[in-house]
Amino acid sequence: MKLERELACRQVVELVTAYLDDALDPVDRERFEEHLVFCDGCANYLEQMRATIRLAGGAGLVLPPALESRLLDAFNDWRTS
Amino acid sequence: MIAYKFLAAGAVAPFTGFEWPVGEWIEADAADPCRRGVHACRTRDLPVWLDDELWEVELEGAVIEQERKLVAPRGRLTRRIEGWTPDTALAFGRFCARRARLRVGFVPVLSGYVGDVDKFVSQGRIAIAGFASARAAELRDGPAAYDAERLAQASWLAERLELEQP
Repeated sequence: MKLERELACRQVVELVTAYLDDALDPVDRERFEEHLVFCDGCANYLEQMRATIRLAGGAGLVLPPALESRLLDAFNDWRTS
Repeated sequence: MIAYKFLAAGAVAPFTGFEWPVGEWIEADAADPCRRGVHACRTRDLPVWLDDELWEVELEGAVIEQERKLVAPRGRLTRRIEGWTPDTALAFGRFCARRARLRVGFVPVLSGYVGDVDKFVSQGRIAIAGFASARAAELRDGPAAYDAERLAQASWLAERLELEQP
């Protein structure tokens, strides 16, 4: 069904990290990029995410190991919940 | 093989940011859809990938044909399609709006799409005007109508821009 083939904005937002990590399979990646062509909101969101990653990567922040470990555990739990 | 490629202003690939040189062969180590390789369109794929600039691209090597794109290990931009201008994009949007009006303008639950497509065209958001027009057709007549509408859009573009197939 074509109606199910197109991604909704909510799905794009959910997939944006996987897209940036190059973790989407080719079909989903194509759907994601098709959506970006016509959806200015999602294209802007993706660009904001890229800018955030660029800025955060250049900030030189080093987390205390214990805090880093707690955050990673929290993210892992969130992904599997 | 001759194909086409939509790029952002300045011949920049919209998803990778790669700045395409004109006339220079670009090589990938493999053609791997959505990951590696030179991605391009047949004329029938054009409405899905609209962007600021349209270029003719020459592909070489084993070309992978997918539902909505081509991927090759090697390619080069050969010429810009000068006919793809903001005015042409607007005319294309108006074509999509006319099609939406004919398809669903008289269907009460879908007639709102006509206003949406008109609004997108007036805002210069032509890609979503094309999508919404095809989606309206699909909602009235089923998935094949979406494809038929996209093909009608592709035919309009190919004829207006005098593109050779594919």
